[in-house]
Amino acid sequence: MNIIEITGLSKVYDANTMPVYALNGVDLAFQQGEFTCIVGPSGSGKTTMLNMLGGLDSPSSGKIMIDNTDITGLTSRQLINFRLRNIGFVFQSFNLIPVLTARENVEFIMQLQGVNKDQRDQRTLELLDSVGLNDKINTRPNKLSGGQQQRVAVARALASKPKFILADEPTANLDSKSAEILLEIMEKLNREEKITFIFSTHDSRVVAKARRVVTLEDGKILSDVSSTRPGS
Amino acid sequence: MNNIRLAWRNIWRNKRRTLLTAASVFLAIFLALIVRSLQIGWFDNLSDIVIQSYSGHIQIHKKGYWDDRDINNSMVFNDSVLAVVKSVKNVDKTVPRLEYFALSSFGKQTKGVMLAGTDPAREDALTKLSAKVVRGRYLEPRGKGILVSQGLASFLGLTAGDTLVLIGQGFHGVSAAGKYPVTGIVHFPSPVLDNQMVYMNLPAAQDFFSADDRITSLSVTLKNPEEINSTRDALQRRVDGGKFEVMRWDEMMVEIMQQLKVKTAGGKIIIAILYMIVGFGVFGTVIMMTNERTREFGVIVSVGMQKSRLAFILVLEMILIGLTGLLSGVAAAMPIMLYFKFNPLHLWGNMAQAFISYGIEPLMPLALKSDFIITNVITVILIVFVTCIYPVRRIFTLNVAEALHK
Repeated sequence: MNIIEITGLSKVYDANTMPVYALNGVDLAFQQGEFTCIVGPSGSGKTTMLNMLGGLDSPSSGKIMIDNTDITGLTSRQLINFRLRNIGFVFQSFNLIPVLTARENVEFIMQLQGVNKDQRDQRTLELLDSVGLNDKINTRPNKLSGGQQQRVAVARALASKPKFILADEPTANLDSKSAEILLEIMEKLNREEKITFIFSTHDSRVVAKARRVVTLEDGKILSDVSSTRPGS
Repeated sequence: MNNIRLAWRNIWRNKRRTLLTAASVFLAIFLALIVRSLQIGWFDNLSDIVIQSYSGHIQIHKKGYWDDRDINNSMVFNDSVLAVVKSVKNVDKTVPRLEYFALSSFGKQTKGVMLAGTDPAREDALTKLSAKVVRGRYLEPRGKGILVSQGLASFLGLTAGDTLVLIGQGFHGVSAAGKYPVTGIVHFPSPVLDNQMVYMNLPAAQDFFSADDRITSLSVTLKNPEEINSTRDALQRRVDGGKFEVMRWDEMMVEIMQQLKVKTAGGKIIIAILYMIVGFGVFGTVIMMTNERTREFGVIVSVGMQKSRLAFILVLEMILIGLTGLLSGVAAAMPIMLYFKFNPLHLWGNMAQAFISYGIEPLMPLALKSDFIITNVITVILIVFVTCIYPVRRIFTLNVAEALHK
């Protein structure tokens, strides 16, 4: 079952003078439980694609249906609410809120959702445990390593029980060991809890773990390959 | 994590900047309150002294008297005139006076004096003259007994029980002369008054100056001083406007009021400059905070916080910084205002001389009133709100995708 369906998606910059296509008529669909990488050289449209999927940017044309909702027709306010309840984000630079502890960063999303305190506390601890950080719950981001911060970011992304998680080059700022740990955690969450991950990356380690690799070039899909690795 | 806790933590990310901003607010509100307190204290003190020691809120004279204070510019005063004045709703007390210069002599000493004929009971109700008696007793409504100010008595070398000779010019140039028993000595804080005043009851003064039924001024105090303008207008209409002048106390004290206005304007300019400085200080902080957190704003909005709530938190941060400076500034200024309210500053130099020349003690208490404190607090809060327009606008026009890649 497709949770995301993209039809004729285009993003054109400087449309009136010298149009540059960041995305050019992309058709794509993602199913529940996928572990997909979007790859391609710089400027191929990976980040634009992720921004569109996350409702962070609006397309010039085309449609993005997420769970039967066309997010291109939503207002800014509706989009924020939609993101809150349906999409998790993991950013390249972790982007945790610096004044909040690991626990509070994870809890923050649930607070925005209006989840009651008991449920928040329980889920926060479970999530931090699932990313191996139950001993860092009261630590602020500046006291955590890059890998630990990114694991908190994953826990935060999961906190809202999203339909899928968008991860924009999540290992780019991590050393190889931290990247390996992070990938294992995400793979495990995908395998055991059927959480859908969509990455954009240059990292071959991430690509190697992916069960589907979509390659973009000049805003178009160059290839879309699904692997037959065990677990797929 | 509620909004206030989040805002509070955010402001302490950069302690030095927050403290500097709060300090600028502190300094501005502290100095503004002290300056305003001085101005208002000064004005209130002056008006109280002038009103309670001499003028009342309003005076009625024969037209032209105030410019030429001659006994020939006196006016007839009787019960019907008093009834007209009393018929104005806001009028409280009235004191009729007949004042003019005379020459006093005791033993071998002679000195020019200001002779004030007044109604003893009414005078006492307005100026509490009886409380200033330091020797002897207060005036009687009838008889020739007089009160002599202490400085004058000392110069002449007389005391209560002695007899003072007064010589002068009465109404329409009639010679005025008489011997008056001194029933009491009064002390005025103002040296000018203390060195020249002689009081007697109104009939005795009218007799001395051959000015039967005449007075030079009728002082009026008001039940509600806030309505001084409307009361003056009402009095002007009731009495014959062509024959009488009805003046507010501050219209009579033109010179000192001009000095006060100049000082007050200067103080207001200082306060305006202070607020400009604090406004730019806070605005600088706001710009820095906004620009260095643009990516964070992008993250927060992307994960699901509405822009309106984010803007609210940012405004809250600025209010918390403002309140930190504001409350500490008010807290620091209050004890100083309180102390100098009850322990007035002593003026010196030209200003002191100006006060003395008007028979007013050169003292300046600070005022402690809620209205000007609230006004200044609201001004600072408004400044903070105005500076928040920039970040609020930035948040509402935030392009999340661009912000994330800052």
